[in-house]
Amino acid sequence: MSAIQAPRTLVRSQLCRDVRRRIGKVPQRAFSSSQYLAQHQSPTPKSPQDEPGTTHFGFQTVAEALKEQKVAGVFSSVASSYDTMNDFMSLGIHRLWKDHFVRNLNPGRNPLTSPPSSPSEPQGWNILDIAGGTGDIAFRMLDHASTINNDAHTTVTVADINPDMLAEGRKRSLATPYARSPRLKFIEANAEKLDMIPDSSVDLYTVAFGIRNFTHKDVALREAYRVLKPGGVFACLEFSKVNNPLFDAVYKRWSFSAIPLIGQLVAGDRDSYQYLVESIERFPSQEEFRDMIKEAGFLVPGQGWEDLSLGIAAIHKGVKPLR
Amino acid sequence: MYQKGVFLRQPLWKQRSAYHSYEHPESPPFPPAESAILSASLSHVPDHGFTSTALKLGARDAGYPDVSTNLLPRGVYDLVNYHLVTQRLALRDALQFPSDAENGKPIGVGSKVRALTLARLRANAPIVHRWQEALAIMAQPGYVPASLAELARLADEIWFLAGDTSVDMSWYTKRATLSAVYSASEVFMTQDTSADFVDTERFLDARLADLTKVGGLIGALGEWVGYTGHSVVNVLRSKGVRI
Repeated sequence: MSAIQAPRTLVRSQLCRDVRRRIGKVPQRAFSSSQYLAQHQSPTPKSPQDEPGTTHFGFQTVAEALKEQKVAGVFSSVASSYDTMNDFMSLGIHRLWKDHFVRNLNPGRNPLTSPPSSPSEPQGWNILDIAGGTGDIAFRMLDHASTINNDAHTTVTVADINPDMLAEGRKRSLATPYARSPRLKFIEANAEKLDMIPDSSVDLYTVAFGIRNFTHKDVALREAYRVLKPGGVFACLEFSKVNNPLFDAVYKRWSFSAIPLIGQLVAGDRDSYQYLVESIERFPSQEEFRDMIKEAGFLVPGQGWEDLSLGIAAIHKGVKPLR
Repeated sequence: MYQKGVFLRQPLWKQRSAYHSYEHPESPPFPPAESAILSASLSHVPDHGFTSTALKLGARDAGYPDVSTNLLPRGVYDLVNYHLVTQRLALRDALQFPSDAENGKPIGVGSKVRALTLARLRANAPIVHRWQEALAIMAQPGYVPASLAELARLADEIWFLAGDTSVDMSWYTKRATLSAVYSASEVFMTQDTSADFVDTERFLDARLADLTKVGGLIGALGEWVGYTGHSVVNVLRSKGVRI
């Protein structure tokens, strides 16, 4: 999918408001105005008719080159309070989503029930966790592999574009048994250009709450396809679209009014969380994202995704075909 | 970049027609990759049961790494479902009834149904010691609707292949009763230790006999109710009641 993921008709007044916001410096918008903004943002189809070379940063349209910096800014500023904030914003449910995500993937190779048929075969899975800076998914993967599947060989490589998030993950890994083991590795990498990862080398590529922030999602998907072994799995946990209109109204109200406020009160950073909810709103629907995964060459299991909490988040999977 | 047209393109195996055609071969029920993993996994079921281990070993046999079992969104239920669907479709070729001319006298629909039901039960024989696991998986709340739908399709398939042409209410009752009889026999079979499942065969015969008895009883009851009702109305009319 293109980064030029389309203009919802950029309402002139909204542009002005954005400009005013940046000039005014103090991002003091009443809740109601961001709510208003969200509601009057007519969901026009995402079509590639806006100017080339631009992409979305929340509801703003920015030059492609700028998005990466801006996203970096957001995550650098939230890195330290990331977990507390996630708990506040999702009422703790993000932990359930992540647990479910990992349990469903069932990482690790049980040496008792499925021993490697030849000694040359790897004894565990090689997992690449993209945008997993704080290690949330990585630690869960390793825990699941070790305790459920008795697998002491599965390795996780955590890649993140943001050194601040990686530092947070390294710090947290000290509290786990994997801190100095060869099973856990942190690398700083852009998901669109994973040059340090060889072709067809990864069993499982995961990206949890990250792909939304990529400048070129299609490029990242193709890169995932490249690094995965034939039969390897691309798995993505990401915010998605709520299907029930009634619940959607409640959810929108929560995300556009409560979340920036919680961000301001707890993390002292309203803008980053405003970006968060806007980027969620901008992310393609389940069907569209499923089709993007197919476009990259993956086979999708069943309908291609699984809704969590009525579609607030969704798990998308793709399997690289054998040939 | 994705385009609108792509959304409309359906994979071949999903293009099902809403009617049954004798002219065109049906498309395979499962996409090729899933089918490869699942058919290889079935051969591990006698040893490992309907478990994710069987799926992983099957994936490995088909040349996929363990992680590819994620291609099956419902996990082990997909394995159970694969068995159900493939065995249902195999019924078509499992039995060839001789035509009436060859046989001398026509074979009744009833005995065809019995033969087909028995053939379907016997298809469970290689894995019958694991079939209780499958029943337990099918009984999980999330899978109950899909399992019942598959049972209904099986009953329909059996009546269709037996040459049933009913177009009245009995279309429904035939399928409902056969579903009940089939599932009861299936459960009985998991406990059957007799040679060549002769006990299951007797159980099935007894249930089918019950059906004819109950069917006859319901018919007689209906007749009695109709006759008595008419008589009552007529008696009342003869007494001058305006009905």
